[in-house]
Amino acid sequence: MAIIKPTKRSTIAPPLSETSPVGWMKKHLFSSTLNTLLTFVTLFLIYITVKGLWVWGIADAVWVADSRRECFDISMDGACWAGVIAWLDSIFYGRYPRDELWRINLGILLLFVWMAPLWLPRVKAKIYIGLTTVFLYPFLSGYLFSGGDKGIFMQLMLTAAIVCLAGNTIHATIGVFTGHSLPEFLPRLFGIKDVQEKTLHNMFFTLIAVSFVAVFMWQMGWGVEKIPWTKWGGLFLTLVISGVGIASALPGGIILALGRRSKMPVVRVLSTSFIELFRSVPLITVLFMATTMFPLFLPEGFVLNKLVQVIIAVCLFNACYLAEVVRGGLQTIPKGQFEGAHTVGLGYWQTMSFIIMPQALKHMIPNIVGNFISLLKDTTLVSIIGLFDVLGMLRSISKDLPWLGLHREPLIFGAILFFLICFVMSKYSRHLEAKLSTEHKN
Amino acid sequence: MKLSTLVTSIVAFAVMAAPAAAATSKTLDLVKKRGNLRCQVGTPSGGFYNLDADGNWYGLDVAVCQAVAAAIFGDKGKMEVQSVSSQARFTALANGESDLLCRTATWTMSRDTQLGLDFTGVNFYDGQGFTVLKETGITSALQLKGAKVCVTSGTTSELNLTDFSRENNLNIDIVTFEDWNVRDDTYLKGGCDAVTGDKSSMAANIVSFPVPANHLILPETISKEPLGPAVRHGDNQWADIVRWSLFAMINAEELGVTSANVDDMRANSKSVPIRRMLGVEGNLNEGIGLSKDWAYNIIKQVGNYGEIYEKYIGSGKGALGIKRKGTLNELWSNGGLMYSPPMR
Repeated sequence: MAIIKPTKRSTIAPPLSETSPVGWMKKHLFSSTLNTLLTFVTLFLIYITVKGLWVWGIADAVWVADSRRECFDISMDGACWAGVIAWLDSIFYGRYPRDELWRINLGILLLFVWMAPLWLPRVKAKIYIGLTTVFLYPFLSGYLFSGGDKGIFMQLMLTAAIVCLAGNTIHATIGVFTGHSLPEFLPRLFGIKDVQEKTLHNMFFTLIAVSFVAVFMWQMGWGVEKIPWTKWGGLFLTLVISGVGIASALPGGIILALGRRSKMPVVRVLSTSFIELFRSVPLITVLFMATTMFPLFLPEGFVLNKLVQVIIAVCLFNACYLAEVVRGGLQTIPKGQFEGAHTVGLGYWQTMSFIIMPQALKHMIPNIVGNFISLLKDTTLVSIIGLFDVLGMLRSISKDLPWLGLHREPLIFGAILFFLICFVMSKYSRHLEAKLSTEHKN
Repeated sequence: MKLSTLVTSIVAFAVMAAPAAAATSKTLDLVKKRGNLRCQVGTPSGGFYNLDADGNWYGLDVAVCQAVAAAIFGDKGKMEVQSVSSQARFTALANGESDLLCRTATWTMSRDTQLGLDFTGVNFYDGQGFTVLKETGITSALQLKGAKVCVTSGTTSELNLTDFSRENNLNIDIVTFEDWNVRDDTYLKGGCDAVTGDKSSMAANIVSFPVPANHLILPETISKEPLGPAVRHGDNQWADIVRWSLFAMINAEELGVTSANVDDMRANSKSVPIRRMLGVEGNLNEGIGLSKDWAYNIIKQVGNYGEIYEKYIGSGKGALGIKRKGTLNELWSNGGLMYSPPMR
């Protein structure tokens, strides 16, 4: 019987052929005659592609010109980026009045300010911050973007949004420096120790109420000029449509998926038929129905906002697709999890929100983000029904008299824009997966 | 399924289902109450309706919209341009979304009588033609025997081309494209011997080619394409307003009234037709329910027909560069077809 002695051998560095660049190349690129040949062919293909793009897009390109004719006069074979540069404002903001662009920029900046605490490690109550982003931020940005007279509802929501934004920001700042939440920090500010929970709540709500009234008084005298939605366009419009679509599709999808798995027949049948109806029709059909057929059934002279119709159509359509993704995720959860939750006495909603969904959603991230990316790209279809989203704007360049026929450069620019946005989304989803994964690393 | 087929069938259904209800009430009152005119154009098309880099609409058709707005409100800016895809264009007019359509739509009998709309005039006489490379030596469309001809699909151009080829036994090889940019690229790279389309757009394309001088538009015109504004069927007063807004511009050119001299003309002209048109004497405005200076506002703010033609289509700075002389778009007194009934 052999006795195995656990002796520790000294570690040896891997052979040089494995680690040196030349060794790596020899192994991976030139291991056989065929591979060597393939390597050279590929290198040649890369060379001619990159060189062609370089010469056309950069070396021979024209960056400053007043018209396409001038571009041709300067360089016959190069790209004419001057046209894209002249149209940059339109590509990003559409027909939005140029003096009011700050409103869009501010709106986008505020979104980042609002959401920044979500990524800061020491901040508490992130769920509330996330919820207010979905439910209150749209009122703030919606008013900034469209302006005009505020109804009483809009005034209240706008006030709530501003108070909430201020509260969020202060809360996050306190969180980063002290690790406390805003309510916890209040007594320290006044130098009071050992306060009761009730007093704490009262202080907090008094503060909120006082600032609510103050902001409400202030906003009554404040307003911005009305910009009709027909002036919205460009990348801004694409982001508005897909942003609202993304924010509403997931909750909608979860509800529909739960409805489809429900034991109540009416709910189940309704959800199933809703999902199947929308999934079996192309998006463009839904858009056309929403914008051309729907007004026929409305009373005469009553014209619905086309943008709202489009957004509703996009939301419903994507909620149905996400519902199926969510249902797929739910089915990966073993029955034992449901039974375990019942055993410890959790009801349906508690089981779903504390046990099932957190596990299921984690599995669904790649699919959900995949859907969001395709949603973003699908929104370019609205250019067919006469909204000037980023694609509509890019295509208009080739018809503008100074830039007549300039269509390649704008489309390439659009491709780069979309790539950047989608790549960031995709990278972020990988990051989320890594962050949320607790086990099953593979 | 092809997208266009699908869309067309939906829209065809919509047009049939469209109640003429929207037409029964007075469009003028609706427009006045709303405070702006909703004028429909298509996706941008060179010279007729374009967006500039600052997001403003301009072009020959947009100028007609502005003229109607100026006639009603005395302000050409009280107008909203709606861009609607060509599949949905007549539906959007029928369902009351647009008050008026002016978007290089060809006036044909079937459209005028079957789609619930009325054409009110012609602001541009177009016709289908061919573009070829000069070096091919082709000088007539009848020499295109067996040639490959590029055309955008789903347009009347495709249909006309087929007819032309059959009538003349030319056996033309038709290559269709969805996007005219791709069509032109194919032509420039030698993928086809000729491109066909409306002559105005042919001229626009040639301007956009790297070396315009290498290309030639053949003399033949193989179809009639009278382009003009259209309104919903059934509201005659509204149709009159749109019709006479355009006529006022043509008439002004004939009478020599321009945006530059209209003030002077109104104050000092002794000519009775001019004084009638500008509302100094007579009561022409009463018939169409507009203010006395409606025609003055059009000419002052938008210009006469010759001015807008030169500005967007003709040889003005940055315009398409289609010569007007010798074409159907000249005034009748110069041998063209632009003719306004007398304003008296």
